Amino acid sequence: MRFILVDEILEMVPGRHIRATKFISPDEDYFRDHFPGFPVVPGVLLTEMMAQTAGKCLDAENPVRGKSMLAKINAASFRDWVRPGETALIHGEIRTSRPQFATADCRVEIGGRPVCSAELLFSFVNMEKFAPGYRDEILERYLATHQPDAPLKSP
Amino acid sequence: MSQQEALKWFADLFGLPPATITPATTRTEVLTWDSLGVLTLMAALDETFNIVANDADMRALQKVGDVLDLLGKHGKLT
Repeated sequence: MRFILVDEILEMVPGRHIRATKFISPDEDYFRDHFPGFPVVPGVLLTEMMAQTAGKCLDAENPVRGKSMLAKINAASFRDWVRPGETALIHGEIRTSRPQFATADCRVEIGGRPVCSAELLFSFVNMEKFAPGYRDEILERYLATHQPDAPLKSP
Repeated sequence: MSQQEALKWFADLFGLPPATITPATTRTEVLTWDSLGVLTLMAALDETFNIVANDADMRALQKVGDVLDLLGKHGKLT
């Protein structure tokens, strides 16, 4: 299983807010176990979806700061099931963004129905730690076709 | 915020019973005051008190009393 839990960024103001989507394929392997006869997306994957989405908003704001990494889940609520074949709309609102950390309020909706939310804390890891040539293709695809609404910050 | 309220705020932040925290409590005595604890404290100072602390500020916080001093320095303690 690939661990890319965002299909497409719909809208983004770097360092401020982002909306993205993820189609939940019925072919996902984890549905075999979670759960037989009642397949639902695990809450940890929904949380990761929110973290990846907000992370892209932070990475676009200041790439030199390093890659955003989920450090803490301050609060997470799961209100409804997410089923195979549904498309998740993921919202991220950056609350605070500093050189050392960032916080974000995130939520997921399915067809306008709220299914989960979380307050997330991020730290940043120097890009030198990652494999040479590592790139965020989803983010690059969005930036290639959209002019950022806010200027990118220098380090 | 009184000193007592600040001690409770600190204890809640680190998931500790307020009665176990005094100004003399050191960083090494608070097991959750690790690198993630530093980030958590930094974010809470920023978002709760509008205190933007840098890395040097955070390194200087070695006991709970130092955190109280920082709050006092920014006029957050009564």
